[in-house]
Amino acid sequence: MRNRATTTLSKGKIRQSWSKYNLYNLNQFRSPPTTNRTFFQQKWSAKAVSRAYHGEQVGEGQWKRMFNHRIRSVIPMNTSDLAADDGSLFSSGRGSGLEKEGKPAFQTRPTPYTSMAFAPLERRLDVAIFRALFASSARQARQFVIHGAVTVNGQKMRHPSYLLNPGDLFQVEPDRVLFATGTPKTKLERREGRLAQRKEPEAEEEAAKAEEVEEEPTESPKESPKETLKALLSQAKTIMSTDKGTLPAKRKQELRGFQKAVRRVLSRSASSTVLTDNLEAQFSQLTLLLNAKRSEKKEPEDNKNDKQPSEEDAPPTDAAAEAAASDKLSEAFEQATLGEEVDASELSDEEFDTLKRALTQMRDNPIDNTKPYATPWRPRDYMSAFAFIPRYLEVNQNICAAVYLRHPVARPGSAEVPTPFGESIATPAYGWYLRRRW
Amino acid sequence: MAPRVQTRVSNALLPYLTSTSISSLPSSSSQCLSRQFSVTAASQTKLRRQMFEWLSTDGAELKHHIPGETNYVTRLKDSPMSATRPFPNNPNFVSESVLSEELRNEVYTRVVEEKKSVRAVSMDLGIDMKRIGAVVRLVELEKRQREQGKHLALPYARAIHEMIPTTPLAPPGERQTYHEPINDLPAHPLTGAQIFYPVSESRPFNRVEAGRVFSSAPALEHHEAAEIGHPSDLAEKIIEDPRAIGWVGKGNNARQILQPADVRIPHPHMVALERDHIAHPNERRAVAERQTKRLERQDAAEQQRRERAQARREKKLQTFTPENSRFEYRIQETVYTKETTGADGRAPWAVGRRYGVPHRDRTRGEVKIPTRVEA
Repeated sequence: MRNRATTTLSKGKIRQSWSKYNLYNLNQFRSPPTTNRTFFQQKWSAKAVSRAYHGEQVGEGQWKRMFNHRIRSVIPMNTSDLAADDGSLFSSGRGSGLEKEGKPAFQTRPTPYTSMAFAPLERRLDVAIFRALFASSARQARQFVIHGAVTVNGQKMRHPSYLLNPGDLFQVEPDRVLFATGTPKTKLERREGRLAQRKEPEAEEEAAKAEEVEEEPTESPKESPKETLKALLSQAKTIMSTDKGTLPAKRKQELRGFQKAVRRVLSRSASSTVLTDNLEAQFSQLTLLLNAKRSEKKEPEDNKNDKQPSEEDAPPTDAAAEAAASDKLSEAFEQATLGEEVDASELSDEEFDTLKRALTQMRDNPIDNTKPYATPWRPRDYMSAFAFIPRYLEVNQNICAAVYLRHPVARPGSAEVPTPFGESIATPAYGWYLRRRW
Repeated sequence: MAPRVQTRVSNALLPYLTSTSISSLPSSSSQCLSRQFSVTAASQTKLRRQMFEWLSTDGAELKHHIPGETNYVTRLKDSPMSATRPFPNNPNFVSESVLSEELRNEVYTRVVEEKKSVRAVSMDLGIDMKRIGAVVRLVELEKRQREQGKHLALPYARAIHEMIPTTPLAPPGERQTYHEPINDLPAHPLTGAQIFYPVSESRPFNRVEAGRVFSSAPALEHHEAAEIGHPSDLAEKIIEDPRAIGWVGKGNNARQILQPADVRIPHPHMVALERDHIAHPNERRAVAERQTKRLERQDAAEQQRRERAQARREKKLQTFTPENSRFEYRIQETVYTKETTGADGRAPWAVGRRYGVPHRDRTRGEVKIPTRVEA
């Protein structure tokens, strides 16, 4: 299917997409004028504008078959109101309660039924993936489905038009989601990724050799509480050797620096116990916090440990708190590299917490140029302007899975179908699709 | 971004170029001409210029998110509801909060580890029962994937939770803020009708009677109506015996009588508890005891009903699995009547292969997209 979903500036159509063109169109959008236009023309333009957003990938005939004039709605009930009155107060007078000072006794906000005109499309698998924030556009979500990256209830589903049933669990491959929602790679990173892929077999051999060679010096420190530090050191080494091709020269230098620092700490800790205790406490608490398989997951963390002191660019994802944490971290490690005593005792509990958090975050977000997105992962530009999750989905972002709980409903004062159009477009568009047109 | 170079000569120029073909023109002169006269190209670049100008001025605020805050386009318009409205033209769509990671884990521990009933957890935390089921399923899946050492999208999850509003878990000892309304009454299609129904002033007209009017059932007899003190009495009766609901109509048109809201909400016992509170304001403990008893009774009745239904289903369904087969054959009694196979015995819904009728896969226009996936 050809992609006709262009976001041109001259037409100014709003699409299900996170592109900056779309953001600009969303900001500039004005409802089509109604003065001096026939009712038919008004409905036509309302329909055209809203169909450009809702299910633009769905044919008009198919959508017409899906449309249903009946709109699901709920009324949130207050149990104390129900307990206080059996309904006879409400039905008293002329049938809607006795008036109080000229005002009706029971006032309710109007339910925006017509904003729900495109609710049947929200059942589609591709739209649901886009709504769960797993793809940057409905078109991309569609591609993920077609390329076999999506499962429904554990089975691969290749039909983007599959209509989810309440209770269906759909899951997208996390790598695809990170690619869709992350910042794209720069030219340099792409090149490094290519080189890494080419050099992968060579690097593995080197890694094997390097491990054999470097096993020996790590064995020299004797005390058992220092096990974690030793593990750190050896893992840093393995990173060094495996990612030789991947990492640029500067990063390699940093890694070497880190390695040296840890070695120095270890050698000196034989004499002074305070230092080891502090560092040990740091890392053991950290590992407790991580409660993940140590052997597998430590690597990236080390990778980042030394990243922090030299470069502040690593976590642009997280602002002030993270920056503060990384400062503390960098201080600690700079001290370590300079051969000074690391003063973890100086850090307050709060600071220590942020430090730990920063460390875990960095472990989860390593540098890996073989990935199709820029690493460390950070959200793509202008993503936050489109970030919302409707209530009919329950999403677990960690595993990129979501459950379609129920069909979207309208309630007094709000409608659950995310639509950028107000009443002045929703109502004529709804009217257009009625079998007995207004 | 640099403005696009207009290579196509606009139509306005064509009359002047008739003597020589366009392609044969020296490129420098054609560019020069287009630069002088082209109007469309200028407008195109103008829009792009405006867009990039906006992105570098007002739109720059939207480029990166602020942790713990939403960052929608409405922010630029200075509207009071900007924090929750992602679309500037649609005040009816609200970006509602999602469960925070801690609250999600709390739900899981309460349901799976502490073995509390979904209903109780729903009432405590103010989360819809369907959502609780989904959360348990998702957390379980997450745990399994962590054990298997699968790749998780942790930085992505953190970023999303910074961008959108979340419902935090209340610190221990404090009351949990409700995540969502838990007693949503679905609007029944029957209630859409506007009915003129005269009632004598001497008679109270309550929700039970309104439901009967909507489903066009005859009004209750006086002694029947007198038995029902409050519509929530009906709820308890119906939970214990769902067959207590009356029917109207015959054959295919038979419909159950529309029940009052007290019966149809997800937590009908909350109304009963509230009524008990109103009737006995000073007997908190006794009221609470009665409530636990009521819940136990209802849970037991529900459990019993579920078991009975399961047993019935199993009795009805005969299965047969041949040795070394991955298939399970479900055997049903075939009923060969006009309803099941059609007048000529070849109806499309009839069972088995029928001579002269192509297989469903082979017929034209057959939709092969599955309509459901078994969990």
